[in-house]
Amino acid sequence: TLCNPHLWQQASGVSPKVIQNYVYSRPPPWSDTLPTIFVITPTYTRPVQKAELTRLANTFLHVQNLHWVVVEDSPRRTNLVSNLLEKAGLIFTHLNVESPQSLKMNGSRIPSHKPRGTLQRNLGLHWLRDSFNNTQPPEGVVYFADDDNTYSLELFEEMRYTRRVSVWPVAFAGGLRYESPIVSPAGKVVGWKVVFDPNRPFAIDMAGFAVSIRLILERPQATFKLEGIKGGYQESSLLKDLVTMDGLEPKAANCTKVLVWHTRTERPMLGNEGKHGFSDLRMEV
Amino acid sequence: MKVKLKNVFVIYFLVSVIGLMYALLQLGQPCDCSQHLRSASDLMHGKDKKISQLLSEVKRLQARGKDSELEGQALPVIYAITPTYARLVQKAELVRISQTFLHVKNFHWIVVEDSPVKTQLVSELLAQSGLRFTHLHTETPKEHKLKESDPNWLKPRGVEQRNLALQWLRENRELSEEGVVYFADDDNTYSLRLFDEIRSTKRVSVWPVGLVGGLRFERPLVEKGRVVGFYTAWKPNRPFPMDMAGFAIALQLLLANREAQFDMLAERGYLESSLLQSLVSIEELEPRADNCTKVLVWHTRSEKPKMKQEELLQKQGLGSDPSIEV
Repeated sequence: TLCNPHLWQQASGVSPKVIQNYVYSRPPPWSDTLPTIFVITPTYTRPVQKAELTRLANTFLHVQNLHWVVVEDSPRRTNLVSNLLEKAGLIFTHLNVESPQSLKMNGSRIPSHKPRGTLQRNLGLHWLRDSFNNTQPPEGVVYFADDDNTYSLELFEEMRYTRRVSVWPVAFAGGLRYESPIVSPAGKVVGWKVVFDPNRPFAIDMAGFAVSIRLILERPQATFKLEGIKGGYQESSLLKDLVTMDGLEPKAANCTKVLVWHTRTERPMLGNEGKHGFSDLRMEV
Repeated sequence: MKVKLKNVFVIYFLVSVIGLMYALLQLGQPCDCSQHLRSASDLMHGKDKKISQLLSEVKRLQARGKDSELEGQALPVIYAITPTYARLVQKAELVRISQTFLHVKNFHWIVVEDSPVKTQLVSELLAQSGLRFTHLHTETPKEHKLKESDPNWLKPRGVEQRNLALQWLRENRELSEEGVVYFADDDNTYSLRLFDEIRSTKRVSVWPVGLVGGLRFERPLVEKGRVVGFYTAWKPNRPFPMDMAGFAIALQLLLANREAQFDMLAERGYLESSLLQSLVSIEELEPRADNCTKVLVWHTRSEKPKMKQEELLQKQGLGSDPSIEV
């Protein structure tokens, strides 16, 4: 089993190479042998959107073989996102689907049980299944990365060699310093170190797991469910059709390292907009 | 005289043979092909010239390539001064800005902790970041420190820390070294293009900042390439009504004015002015970002993460493992 490169990487504790000499604003060259990481990011228009996507792009530019799938909650693809993606230098796919009013992500405080980004993530999955319908799918993994979280570069190397579904801790989820799967000495996930509803089939945040492309394509009926999903059950609604708890692969040193943070950005105070001629919508922010 | 057909054939035959003999004799004779040769030779010379032209072009480009590598070394260094303090989101903030900084050539990160000691969290993060850095620390005196319950604007933050970084630069850099100093708070968002704008600073350069001062953006007003005023709604009568993220200062200007620093006692919003007024006048400001019409930096702030469940657990003595760093 030591011939398995995935296990070798775990065993030797190889940390991701930090590339320092590449050309400005380009990702590392695409490799034909490295598994692809498809990152699905739902996004919606609000004042901090461009900032969030900019710093995400700056992060993703370090990750080899990353394909960014950005799905706008919008009836049309906006110029802001189109231009940003074109200039970023990343390999990307730009999609859009508008959430019906009742589910829409907007600036106001939405009660946490309304699922956000669901339609958008599902469209991302649909695009993947469509793209690799008749062609040989690449080796790789699918990760749902919301646009306000913070991701370490090491995280992407942990998820890259996922066979089915891999999991790891997430900081600031569920009202805790971090939520984490509980891993037995044998290296199997046996429970969830969470306080909020630990009886969920998968008590894990969206940022805490990745699914292999092969599994996504094998199970075309696996999507996030929209109807009747209680707060915190979004992830389970997808995962239950993909894997069982004992099939999960724990990463991040058997789930003892925090490599992703569920950060949230404050809504900026824009109280002076519109006062005494202070408004200039020509400038994109 | 009657021309006999037989004679015609004989004459024809003789003429042909003579012609053939002549042609055969010509073979092997030196001929005057100079004209042909000359044109062929010209052609060859032309191609040779082209080849040598191309070769020298290649050499020149190679040299230029080397020069730009050298230029890369001679590019003014951007010193980003980041004050930071321990709180839940600190590691996340530093991780994500370091990922942006890693793209910037000739970059030197000066991180100054508001702390009596260098913490392990920041030390390890810097060591693993792949960036060139200087790690400093100084603790804000108690009377100037914000309490947990204070609104964040009540006391100026990061003052002692930024001043310490300025002091470090003055003690460790020469007037001859080209550099630009930028104050990069750990929760803002920076586009890569911003650093090109910073790099070309001669004295003090300025640009718009997004999501600040109660507006979508604040910016200097520019006419004919000069700053003539400021588009700012909050306290617009300040000497320099700008955010910390909206300007950069040439290193040489700071080294030449060794007393210039931030005033701890400055009124709210006057921190930037307290430094800039001793360095530059409004007329001297260099507008960047397309005459201050592009937003290349945003004054983002992160929410304080909700720790309700963590606090409950800790009350029961079941808090999360503190050895797992967040």
